[in-house]
Amino acid sequence: MKKLVAILMTVTMFLSAMTGLAMAEDKAHPETPVVVGVTCPYSGFVANLGENLVRGIQLALEVEGRTEDVKLIIEDTELTSELAVTKCESLLKKDNATFIIGSVTGFEGDAQAAWLKDNPDVIFMPGYSATEDMTMRDFSPNMIRAGWTANQVMFDWGAYVAKEIGYKKIISVGADYSYPWGQAAGFAHGFLSNGGEKIEYIWYPEGNTDFNSIMTTLLSRSSEYDAVFLNDGGATVVAFWKAWEQYGLNNVYPQLIGGTNVGDTNVLTEVSDGYVGVMSAGFYADGDPSEANQTFRQKYIEMFDAQPDAVSVQGYDTMRCIIKGLDAVDWKVDDQQAIIDAILALKITDSPRGSFYFDEYHNAVQNVYIKETQIGADGEMVSNIIKTFENVTQFGPYNDLKEGYMSMPRNARDYPPTERDAFMEDLAKYFGQEYVDKLIENGGW
Amino acid sequence: MYLMVILNGLTMAGYLFIMAIGLNLSFGLMRICNMNHGTFYLLGGFIGWSVVKATGNWWLGLVVVAAAVGLIAFLEEFLLLRRARGKTTVETLITLSLSIIGTDLIIAIWTGKTRQIDIPDFAKGIYRVGNYFFPKFNVLIILFAVAIGFIFWLIYQKTKIGMILRAGVDNFEIVATCGINIKRLFTAVFTVSGALAGIAGVFGGTYQMLVSGQDGTVMIYTLLVVIIGGIGSFGGAIVGSIVIGLIYTVGTMLAPQFSYFFLFAPVALVLAFRPQGLFGKVGRIDD
Amino acid sequence: MIKSKTDKFRLSGLLALLLFLIAVPMLSSSFLITMMIRYMYYGLLTISFAFLASQLGLFSLMVPVSLTICGYIIGLGVLRWNMSIWLAILLGILGSQLFAALCGVMVNKSKGISFLMLTLVISQLVWALSLQWTTVTNGTTGLLDIRFPEYINIFSAQPNVNQYYWTFIVFVLCVALVFLLTRSSYGLRLRGVRDSESRMMALGYHTSTLKWTAFMIANLISAIAGVLYVYNNGMITPDVMTLSSTNKSLISSILGGAGTPLLGSMIGTVIYRTFDVMLSGLTRRYLTLVGLLFLTVVMILPDGITSVAKRFRRGKRHE
Repeated sequence: MKKLVAILMTVTMFLSAMTGLAMAEDKAHPETPVVVGVTCPYSGFVANLGENLVRGIQLALEVEGRTEDVKLIIEDTELTSELAVTKCESLLKKDNATFIIGSVTGFEGDAQAAWLKDNPDVIFMPGYSATEDMTMRDFSPNMIRAGWTANQVMFDWGAYVAKEIGYKKIISVGADYSYPWGQAAGFAHGFLSNGGEKIEYIWYPEGNTDFNSIMTTLLSRSSEYDAVFLNDGGATVVAFWKAWEQYGLNNVYPQLIGGTNVGDTNVLTEVSDGYVGVMSAGFYADGDPSEANQTFRQKYIEMFDAQPDAVSVQGYDTMRCIIKGLDAVDWKVDDQQAIIDAILALKITDSPRGSFYFDEYHNAVQNVYIKETQIGADGEMVSNIIKTFENVTQFGPYNDLKEGYMSMPRNARDYPPTERDAFMEDLAKYFGQEYVDKLIENGGW
Repeated sequence: MYLMVILNGLTMAGYLFIMAIGLNLSFGLMRICNMNHGTFYLLGGFIGWSVVKATGNWWLGLVVVAAAVGLIAFLEEFLLLRRARGKTTVETLITLSLSIIGTDLIIAIWTGKTRQIDIPDFAKGIYRVGNYFFPKFNVLIILFAVAIGFIFWLIYQKTKIGMILRAGVDNFEIVATCGINIKRLFTAVFTVSGALAGIAGVFGGTYQMLVSGQDGTVMIYTLLVVIIGGIGSFGGAIVGSIVIGLIYTVGTMLAPQFSYFFLFAPVALVLAFRPQGLFGKVGRIDD
Repeated sequence: MIKSKTDKFRLSGLLALLLFLIAVPMLSSSFLITMMIRYMYYGLLTISFAFLASQLGLFSLMVPVSLTICGYIIGLGVLRWNMSIWLAILLGILGSQLFAALCGVMVNKSKGISFLMLTLVISQLVWALSLQWTTVTNGTTGLLDIRFPEYINIFSAQPNVNQYYWTFIVFVLCVALVFLLTRSSYGLRLRGVRDSESRMMALGYHTSTLKWTAFMIANLISAIAGVLYVYNNGMITPDVMTLSSTNKSLISSILGGAGTPLLGSMIGTVIYRTFDVMLSGLTRRYLTLVGLLFLTVVMILPDGITSVAKRFRRGKRHE
């Protein structure tokens, strides 16, 4: 029996390879493979994200049949800004990369964006860095983000929590660096504009793993707040949840809500079943029943024997944008502007995350999903879509007020204000009193 | 409220103590700062995760980890450190290089994915006294640490090995001249210290989670315990781990955005006035 | 000055090397220039470590502290306080020296492993501050986009050639300083303290002053490395201050040979900093290779790679 399966598999593989070849014949090919550099951490706390980013990229190459046409060079950043930049330099100057896919964390992304200002000769696409300023206040014409910004996916989520769930006061627990600041800012805009009254923040240092003290704080404050907003990802979420369950906080707070990475696969595979019901928002939902998503997941699991997560999706989409952009220029890499224009003109409709296209600051305009963790058909935990907001730009509700939004300060630990009145006052500074009055009159957006 | 914080601090102190007692002993006796102690921790955690995942038996995980990490520590001492005996800098550098290799290999074997070990059924849940909550597993960690401490105290104070150890920490050359096989003693101490670090990893992985890169953080906390307590001092390890555990938890509660600073500042102050640590003897280590 | 044939040989070798280094930007690709710049500022950091290690026998784990403080002050000066870059650099060096002076007082009390531990804690303290004092340091992101004025670009139209020459000039000055110091009677006194502090005391030397000044010099070099770091990277972030960053300087120094503060440091730095850029593109597990190389060197050549040459020379002499 095993033999038979093996033979069948070889035959199918052979056939698919043949069809792949046959199809490849009428495609344009470059004379020498196009060099695509990837910078990502392979060691340290988020080694996993780096790994998944690369897998997503490899899957895209495989699916599009372009493994021969693209030369992938993967460089480790060791999770340091200096190496993230030096590796970009090395990819550009030593390997003559046409494209660089950036790293996965916010601070590496910021450093790379600063580097990019002096290096126009490469097309840079962030790996998973979600600092909004990379494609906003620090806009570079040669950066295209087939991803997301931390704020973008949070605006509507904040509004949803205030309007649909009806919470008034939230206590937020988050890691203290730029990406969670962005998520908190986006959430605050949505929440405080739409009826939320107050958000209190607890910031713990990045990489903190001991949550017992924070649990005692949460316990003692439970009468003041409606829900807890967890603003971090990966390992810390697992540790947080462990402490949360130990202290029985499920009985004290009706719900744990969270930032984008709280509902991601790398967390779901590790936490206990009590995690069902945790809500979050993001640009990708692993439980999305669409055909594009299901085929993607199936192929990914076949190829790597591992579950894909949002990073994999961004790697996959980024690489596919590169391939499709190159298709449009017949894989000629001499004219950088033509490639950039071609990528910006793309409208991807069959991404695992739905469809997306690019705005004038080169960031993806895409669906934002409100997700809830549930037990899937196979007994594994998945994040299922509760509500979809379509075509959300990185400016969210301020799409017509871009200038005002961009004149606001950058994301920081203590911006925007945490109470409704102060927040409105601040908002009036950038959008005018009229806007705020209308906001209050309408009871929200 | 503060009672709960103190208990949290003691929990952290518990697994820091299990880490620190081994490091402290090998530090005090062999004069080497074992830089891959944190790697032992993470390795133990991941081996424990694999075993518990496969068998579902948490205690079995603990035993296998103790044996496996102990074996690795034994091999490290027997094959590498022994060849550089007497040159403490070289020995420390060997452990440093092994920590680089080990950390990287852990990612290669277990990938960089976050893992956690399920809390065993008997330790799930929470003790509730009035308004106070004590997770059962935290209590288990404290009890285990106390048990380990007690066993060590017995060995230290009541047996001949303990006598040799105490003498060895003060001056191992003299012990060696007394006809005691110091080589074998070193190997044994290093092995036990590795096994304990592995066990601490299982506790840590069950209590929190396991992720690549954590070894560095744990290593630094353990070093802080040893430094502030005093190198080679048994009482120092106890007091040091309690101090660090409490500072960390109280710091995280009062000002989480400055918790690291609150962790290092008092240690720096103590060292400025007592370079040998709270319980260390002057001149014990500096040669 | 020139006493013997070997000295003449050395001098001409040095001159040839200098000429080569001056000619690098004309000969080679732009990436090699980047690498050379990197060797130089990290080299200074390693030299700062090796200076203390070789002259006083003290292993300082706070090598990058001055680099970090100096870098942050420059960044804050330029970005927040809108001061001229030269004033910021001056303040940066002064500020980091002030901090080093305070630490130096503590350092005098300890040696050996307590020194190692004390410096480790200080370095972690500075790291924690740079990471967590976000209103000033901007957290993990650090201070980005610190730019030097255009008018210093006098060597060439290419920015990176200018960076190379300025870095090179500063580097050579620092190396010369360290070289002269180690050859002077001051260096001799330092090594006297290293070998026997009590004897030096008995001879009437203020050993604590000697140690303190050496500590300050090491930190000055590190601060200058900080200026070069900011100049070339345009940023300063907390990750230059982590334990693994310190370890990199230590490993570089040991690889080359801690006994030779200049040559050993540079050889070690070049090897390590080549590896971390060149190897990672080839294999994912390059850190294992780095670790193995380090282990081999430590086991077989505890005095570093430079000791091979020494052994070879000694062997010849015996013939």
